[in-house]
Amino acid sequence: MKIFRHLTTTLVTFCAIVAAVVFAFAVVVTFVVSAFSDIEISAWNVVASQIARWFLFWVGIYVIHNVLPIAVAHGRTRREFLVAASGFSVVLAVAMSVLARLGFLAEGGIYALMDWHADEHGTPLAYFLMFLVWCVAGMFCAAAFDRFGAAGVFSVPVGLASVIITTVRIPGSGNLPFIGNIPSLLGEGWHVASVAAFLVVLAGTWAVVRDMPVRVRTS
Amino acid sequence: MRVDVQGLTVRYGSVTAVDDMSFSLSGNKIYGLLGRNGSGKTSLMSVLAGYRKPAGSVELDGVPVFENAAAMRQVCLVRHTPDAADKGDKVSYVLEYGAAWRETWDNDYALELAELFKLSLKAKAGELSLGQRSALGVVIGLASRSPLTMFDESHLGMDTPTRYAFYDALLNDFMAHPRTIIVSTHLIEELASLLEEVVIIDGGRLVLQEEADVLRSRGTEVTGNAADVDEFTAGLTVLSEKSLGRTKATMVYGTLDDARLIRARQLGLELGPIALQDLFVHLTATVGGVR
Repeated sequence: MKIFRHLTTTLVTFCAIVAAVVFAFAVVVTFVVSAFSDIEISAWNVVASQIARWFLFWVGIYVIHNVLPIAVAHGRTRREFLVAASGFSVVLAVAMSVLARLGFLAEGGIYALMDWHADEHGTPLAYFLMFLVWCVAGMFCAAAFDRFGAAGVFSVPVGLASVIITTVRIPGSGNLPFIGNIPSLLGEGWHVASVAAFLVVLAGTWAVVRDMPVRVRTS
Repeated sequence: MRVDVQGLTVRYGSVTAVDDMSFSLSGNKIYGLLGRNGSGKTSLMSVLAGYRKPAGSVELDGVPVFENAAAMRQVCLVRHTPDAADKGDKVSYVLEYGAAWRETWDNDYALELAELFKLSLKAKAGELSLGQRSALGVVIGLASRSPLTMFDESHLGMDTPTRYAFYDALLNDFMAHPRTIIVSTHLIEELASLLEEVVIIDGGRLVLQEEADVLRSRGTEVTGNAADVDEFTAGLTVLSEKSLGRTKATMVYGTLDDARLIRARQLGLELGPIALQDLFVHLTATVGGVR
């Protein structure tokens, strides 16, 4: 419980602060852009659907690569840590999807006042699942690289497959390099695939971390 | 806390760091874990701390340590770079980790030690000098008050006054809160007076486990007329020799029987103790196959 409390109080707070700063920055950028052209897309959706998932991926890496060794060094077992980290990933994904929703509401108000037009964005459930899977995929890849070194690269296809699934129901999420737009084949039922992806990468993380040696830091 | 190691082997690929090692520590003493570079000290302590899964048996107070929450709570391993800290974390934050995650943590003592070692609470762990990082590790180790506390070369980079402050703090805290402390060091003579028992390993194998005083009694420095010294030491294991004019000082390994002691008196030779460090060099050089 101590690990869970620590992760949620520190990292969720940190992520909320980052989200608030980025929202303010997005609003400023939107006003600057409006001076030169019409506003036809949601700046916050660019953040929520593209940047945020990579941020969540980094959080997952940080949790395993940085916090797990500290937990073990302070006498906590890997199992205790994994239980806490699994719960934390859900809480963080909920918090970030709520923040995404609040951002859309605030941005919607601003756009209405300014008579700007925003494009479509996903449902809170879609964002929640995307954030959840990207965070746990970060944990999985970090665990694989920490444990197997360069051979951890074999975790990348699994991680990539799992995160791509979650972006299908997020409009605008396929505009970054590496991950193209994927047609939505199963409607809202596609979320089941996201849940399955979450379970696969979470199970993979547990399997890799369960008896992973904690490297003694040398520098 | 009692420590039992049975048939422990640690391998990194084709390299065997610890090779079928077995020993027991009865606990509540300050133990010296001595070994040359690459002898397996860090690997051994990593397994004792539950950092890696053992091939063999490692038990603390009769229960396996790896992934055993009750046992792992009782252990703290620190090196010159604290494992319980992230480079980007401020010192104050590192201490908060200890306070939050360790039931036995003494935060007042941690702050007292931080002041003793002149550690700024606002400094980031990654920005500290090597000696200061070592000091931070020592703060974590001592303030954890863990029943099994291990210091692996925790003095690295410390200047002499800081090392002495560490030794004083270690001894004072051990006296006030007896527990099992294992110290790995290459500065054997500096710590020799603190060590109650010594475990020497080399090439991943146990060379010797002995009370420090008993070990010291196994070595003798024989000083006197060169010819007399040579006659006296004939047949004994000679560790080193030094000559100055007609006077010669020879260090020998092994217990001297009564007949030898009488002969030394007859020859007018002086017999004195030798340093633990010299014994260590002898024992590890022989077993390591260097000589």
